[in-house]
Amino acid sequence: MKMRVASIFALAGYSLLIVAPLYLALDRLVWVAGFDPYAWINSLNENYITQGVIGFTFLQAALSTLFTLIIGIPIAWQLGRHKWPLQSFVKSILTMPFVMPSIVAAMGFLHIIGPAGLNIRVDESTWFTTLIIAHAWFNMALVIRFCEPVLSTLDPNLEQQMRLLPAGRTKFGRFRNLWAPLLMPSVAAAACMTFIFSFTSFALVKWITLGDNTLESVMASVGSSAGIKDYMISRNEIILGASLIQFTILLAALWIMSWLQQRRQSLLPQASEAIVKSANRKGWLIIGPGLLFALSPLIAVLWASFRVRHTDSTGTTYTWETSGWEFAFAGTNSLPSGWDALANSLGYAGLTLIIALPLGWVLAQTILDVEKQRPRLARLLDILTMLPFAASSVMIGLGVMLGMIRIDAEFFYSFWPTPVFAHIMITTPFVVRIMLPALRSISPEYDECARTLGIVAWRRFFFIKLPLLWGSILIAGIFTLAMSLGEFGASWVVTRNSDWTTLPIMIDSLRSIPYNTTYTAPAACAISSVLMIITLFLFTWAEKFRPARDGGMF
Amino acid sequence: MLECKELSKSFEKELFTGFNLELKPGEIIAITGPSGCGKTTLLRAICGLETLDSGTINLDHVDITNVPAEERGIGLIFQSPVLFPHLSVQGNLLLGDENGDISTALEEVGLSGFEKRRVESLSGGEGQRVSLARALLAKPKVLLLDEPFSSLDEDLSEKLVQDVRSILKKSDCPAILVTHNKKIAGDFADSVISLSN
Repeated sequence: MKMRVASIFALAGYSLLIVAPLYLALDRLVWVAGFDPYAWINSLNENYITQGVIGFTFLQAALSTLFTLIIGIPIAWQLGRHKWPLQSFVKSILTMPFVMPSIVAAMGFLHIIGPAGLNIRVDESTWFTTLIIAHAWFNMALVIRFCEPVLSTLDPNLEQQMRLLPAGRTKFGRFRNLWAPLLMPSVAAAACMTFIFSFTSFALVKWITLGDNTLESVMASVGSSAGIKDYMISRNEIILGASLIQFTILLAALWIMSWLQQRRQSLLPQASEAIVKSANRKGWLIIGPGLLFALSPLIAVLWASFRVRHTDSTGTTYTWETSGWEFAFAGTNSLPSGWDALANSLGYAGLTLIIALPLGWVLAQTILDVEKQRPRLARLLDILTMLPFAASSVMIGLGVMLGMIRIDAEFFYSFWPTPVFAHIMITTPFVVRIMLPALRSISPEYDECARTLGIVAWRRFFFIKLPLLWGSILIAGIFTLAMSLGEFGASWVVTRNSDWTTLPIMIDSLRSIPYNTTYTAPAACAISSVLMIITLFLFTWAEKFRPARDGGMF
Repeated sequence: MLECKELSKSFEKELFTGFNLELKPGEIIAITGPSGCGKTTLLRAICGLETLDSGTINLDHVDITNVPAEERGIGLIFQSPVLFPHLSVQGNLLLGDENGDISTALEEVGLSGFEKRRVESLSGGEGQRVSLARALLAKPKVLLLDEPFSSLDEDLSEKLVQDVRSILKKSDCPAILVTHNKKIAGDFADSVISLSN
């Protein structure tokens, strides 16, 4: 198939699967609430449910970004400038939190601060701090991924030259004149992404700061009663207002990030990591606590899955048991078994992979093809494929849900693959972002050389292009699987009226049962452990295929 | 026989206009000229990687002006060796001819025993020799060489010029070399054409 035909199919598929549901949702909400953006935003301040939400969302996102940079930059510096035993393993552990499902992180932090851990959860004042720390745990990988490649491959001649110049004789001078300007685009890009992810945080906010809401969690909680004519019109306004603010902020952040990414691509003189890196024992003072920080919520989840609480007249005791796991996988009248949730999750992830991977790949190829002739159109397509990034998972979930109501609610609520729509919307932009730099990195000379050797198009594709892209295809595929398996926000909105429980939804459902059995908390941690182990396996597998100088965000 | 008639091409400026060339079987021609005069574009147009503004190219009396690059039977050696990093030396050579005699091809370019070597372990000169062996395995009707010696040091360049010339003559393969180095052009080719700005 010629790329032109494939591109048309991909663009049509993207419009149908991703743009159309968002449009239908918006159309439905405006149909109920009327077109009055001022009233939408005003409703956020006037309604008792949403008072203070805008301020809280901005404050927690800003503080989370600041704290993430404070802990991420020293770790990135140590990883980039110094040698470590088991270098790639250490880096994998420190960057792994980013791919962990947010609900697993929430369970981990809940256990750390809960009664079986530090026991500080009873004090409400610790919730906000815990949320900021959890966001930093989640996003420090972004700082490492953005900054470490710049640090680890920068030609040491630059620093040596700077040392010999008056402006670089002191450490501060070198920081001001060399490192700060070189690292600033990467640090700022990481800060933008951290801000975006903290701004749209859902699972961590829902579970760690009970009662406090971000725009994202507000949309999720009022979403179920939206889109119905003459019913709770203010809730439709709240969703529209929150979406408008969120979309504007996220689009601005993405635009800044895209601009910074272009600046990052300016060619820096590079050298081999072996020349750049030196030993530094004192660095363990940073890397050691960093490793502990990265691992502790995950260890806590596994630990908590075997700790069962017993309360009687003499007090509360914890015992080591496997009954949490048994409870999780047995199923009850109100909950499906862990096996059902696992089967659903794997089914959805597989289906998402089959559709999102080729769709994202062809979209990336289309952008690249158009780029040469019509750069403005390519930029527009690039932004269009990033649209779901600016829409957040809950907004996407609402889009699918309201789109379903608009088309045929009965059919879609009984249609098993329905959540896949949301998963495709969420994962396709990631595939595009992974495949686009990979496609760009293939020198056109390879194809030209093959053509002068008389190799026909299909052989060039299978024997030249495919093997050169293999690593990136695997990373994109594994990332799609991991993202789909751990997806919580959109699935929570789409599937709560159905029986198709996924692993993250089951964790949420188990934790939502108000301690009527002693097994719900360990059962939630048991399911979290399953999700964590699958994600860990996928992540370590993907790391094997990552190109050595990959400075991409994922 | 390769015949180029009235070839013209311009990008932002005129690169070449009314360019004519006749390359007889077994003949080696060098085209020299300063940087930016359109030497590389001319080669890329001859092998079909660039389209021409006007003019015709005939190969063995057949008009190939609009024939895709992969169907022309014209080989090209790039300025820097283009070797596929996911394949070994042998894998790269098999792209030229699936049933080709790899060890003989390597022996001809002075790289016996290099079959299993990874391409990133090759030096610049070795890489160019592998490119040459691969191009010859494809049995091109004409071989084009785009400054393949420019990135090598002087001694290696001189040796490779002689080696490649004798291999081409031995295989009776007509060739066009473009270079800005008049000495290399003189040493390598039977005749030299100068392309000016």
